Amino acid sequence: MTGIDKQKLRFKVENTHNLPTIPATLKNILTFLENPSISINKISDFISKDPVLTMKVLKMINSPVYGFPGRISSVNQAVLLLGLNVIKGMLLGVSVFELMQKAMVGLWEHSLGCAALSSLMAKKKGLKSSEDITIAGLLHDIGKVLLAVNIPEVYERLIDVTEKHGLTILEEEKTVLGTNHGEVGSWIAKKWNFPKHLVEIIQYHHEPYKASNARVECAVVHLSDILVRARGFGFAGDNSIPEVNKETWDILGFTDEDIKELLLAMEDSLEDYEDLGA
Amino acid sequence: MPKINVDEAKSGMITSRPVSNENNIIILKENTELTDSIIDRLKKMGIEYIFVKAEKRFSKSREDTLNEVEKRFSRVVNNPIMDKLKRIVKEHIEELYDRNR
Repeated sequence: MTGIDKQKLRFKVENTHNLPTIPATLKNILTFLENPSISINKISDFISKDPVLTMKVLKMINSPVYGFPGRISSVNQAVLLLGLNVIKGMLLGVSVFELMQKAMVGLWEHSLGCAALSSLMAKKKGLKSSEDITIAGLLHDIGKVLLAVNIPEVYERLIDVTEKHGLTILEEEKTVLGTNHGEVGSWIAKKWNFPKHLVEIIQYHHEPYKASNARVECAVVHLSDILVRARGFGFAGDNSIPEVNKETWDILGFTDEDIKELLLAMEDSLEDYEDLGA
Repeated sequence: MPKINVDEAKSGMITSRPVSNENNIIILKENTELTDSIIDRLKKMGIEYIFVKAEKRFSKSREDTLNEVEKRFSRVVNNPIMDKLKRIVKEHIEELYDRNR
């Protein structure tokens, strides 16, 4: 398949908010996120104005996925505690993933699973920025959603071919698009001024050895992604799993027992995941 | 569980999207619980795929779940890390089923 020009694709993706198929509420959110001068107050006001959004954000923050259940009762408190970037990511997560349910059933569950497992791994490794890593886990596949809404026919066909030949989406994306969902996700993360390390995790979650700013964080999301798929939680668009990068495995240095413990903790935290429906 | 082959459908699963035939006429609404006779009808009508809601854990047999793990790993061979992960995931699943017994 030819005719997909990477620069044109990037332009499309960066202008997702102009798509006629995007619901008005999401359009508002995307336009809001694009503003480089978002402040803590502005984002707090923006979310608080919308009761549905407020509820979704609070539900997510207080869920076991995030790790402080039942403590945060107002958006103001959430923003102060978690910081601008985490709230921005969450706003994006809870809104864009509605589209995800249409684009690829099961991707939301996969993303939640990855968020939960990334959070657990980050804590286990004693990483400072476990909230950021959780958001990266939630958003790592946002490129798939962007592709599915911007080039629906092409992407659907791509997924069909993937399924028919037992490939991974990643392989087929490279063949057909000359890029992959990680890079596509990073375009928009950059455009929305997400911090460097978050951009990097999204971009390189399949190529963690390329990360220069957030190598360990990238390793966490890389391994979480593969483990969640191996376990069969949710659906990331393909039935084959890619290999874990050897260097990543060594950086994290988890024992067999560690992995088992992490998997069990993930199962527990996702017991009620349907409640978190996008 | 998202899109599944009708052959994999089991009674008790719930549709997550309406099912339409080749003329785009909806033959099964969203949120319908499948029964054996509905599944039979779908097969007879030549429907290949349907969308079902995330399955409740343990709705599948232990063997099926383990076989699926095997299948997902089928493209990664001769990789000691992946072999190890496969073993751990399988042991994890066995443990979940044991607990739930």
